[in-house]
Amino acid sequence: MDDTVLMAYVDGELPPREREEVEKQMAASPEVAERVALFEASRLPYCEAFAHQKLPPVPERLTKSIEAMTCAQTARPANRNPNKPVAHHDKQLPPSAPLRSRLRVAPAWVAVAFIAGAFFTGGVLRFAPGLSGAPSTLVGGNAAPWVQAVVGYQQLYSRETLAQPVADVESVVEATRREDGLAVRIPDLRGAGLTFKRVQRLRFQGRPLIQIAYLPEKGAPVALCIIKQVQPDQPIASQRVAEMNVVTWRQSELAYALVSNSSDVDLTALGKQISDRSINALFGKAETSPYVLSAR
Amino acid sequence: MNDADLSGKLPQMLPRLWSFALRISGDPHDAEDLVQRACLRALERQHQLRPDTSPLSWMFSIIQSIWINEIRARSVRSRSSMEWDDNFLDTVADPSAQTPESEVMNRQIVRAVEQLPEAQRAVMLLVAVEGLTYSEAAEVLGVPMGTIMSRLARARQTLGSLFGAQEQRVQRALKS
Repeated sequence: MDDTVLMAYVDGELPPREREEVEKQMAASPEVAERVALFEASRLPYCEAFAHQKLPPVPERLTKSIEAMTCAQTARPANRNPNKPVAHHDKQLPPSAPLRSRLRVAPAWVAVAFIAGAFFTGGVLRFAPGLSGAPSTLVGGNAAPWVQAVVGYQQLYSRETLAQPVADVESVVEATRREDGLAVRIPDLRGAGLTFKRVQRLRFQGRPLIQIAYLPEKGAPVALCIIKQVQPDQPIASQRVAEMNVVTWRQSELAYALVSNSSDVDLTALGKQISDRSINALFGKAETSPYVLSAR
Repeated sequence: MNDADLSGKLPQMLPRLWSFALRISGDPHDAEDLVQRACLRALERQHQLRPDTSPLSWMFSIIQSIWINEIRARSVRSRSSMEWDDNFLDTVADPSAQTPESEVMNRQIVRAVEQLPEAQRAVMLLVAVEGLTYSEAAEVLGVPMGTIMSRLARARQTLGSLFGAQEQRVQRALKS
């Protein structure tokens, strides 16, 4: 007689006829009687016992972090989620089965994300400044805070991260134009061996930041990040930030950062090509200049 | 379920997520890591939470999955002892005054469950401690309900053999 039936008997979950059947078996077989006895003895106050278990309290840091993650949601209108990936499931899986996240996570992920106060809500990744009071030089160097944030984020990336491209690029671009005030043209970098994979809307200190991700034929992904900065133009400069190569420039009140830890890609040359506007666009409206802020 | 619901609930759920993560992993650092990651992931994927699924169960399943797939392998903690009590027992008078006998019993119960093999322990935590139904537990762990029941049965046979004397048990069972 199956143990799960005996267990149901002991828990009072069997209908009368099956109860009788079990009792017959018990009378006939000491072994069955013994198993029933064990189930009886296992009817213990588990819930109460664990309720009295003295556990370490919830760490303050954790409470703050969760609160920070959730407070940004409250003012948001419901449900426009342009970054929602189109889910291509196997026919066997129910539609709500989670897509396997191929993001390779290193232990540093937690430190970077939570000290930087990053949280992903409503289709937008947000970096909140200095939540835990930890210095923003965690990611290191003299890079501007927004550059540090995107480098920290880019550290999370592997080729697998971009294995499933976001399908609906047009609507992301459109949402970026309409809601973020950035008319993004996605540079076509195939000439440099880079395949466009995804564009994401992020937030840095509440300001829209666009990340455009590419994959070279081999090696680590390359990201082009753009944020509005109302300051004079700045020429191309390259630096190392937290073991990643970063090339930055500022042009027409937009700051750019090209980020990668791939040694195969010449980021400086790429930066020059992009800023020279000698590259075509893949998506986005044709404007007279490549990256234009709409009036807001 | 709209976006606001899950956000509003996460802070409230935190104590239960924390204790579940602690009991699953046996280590406060791993537990903190687990809860952080789970909350982030839940917020990323909240559009996947079905209206008929309890948000708490869903969070348990995310925590369980992150534990199994991401953290357990690199956890350096020894699984042989989970002596929370020794660190935190100290001086806090327990207002829900247990009798000495029930206090001993409770600790024995907790220890016995904690020493079960991982798969059985997870089921016991979900069903016997967190009060999930068999079908909710099946969803959390991503296994068929029959698997839940058989793991539970094995756990309870082990636990039953630890508590109560042999003869008395058999007599009691035959009489009832």
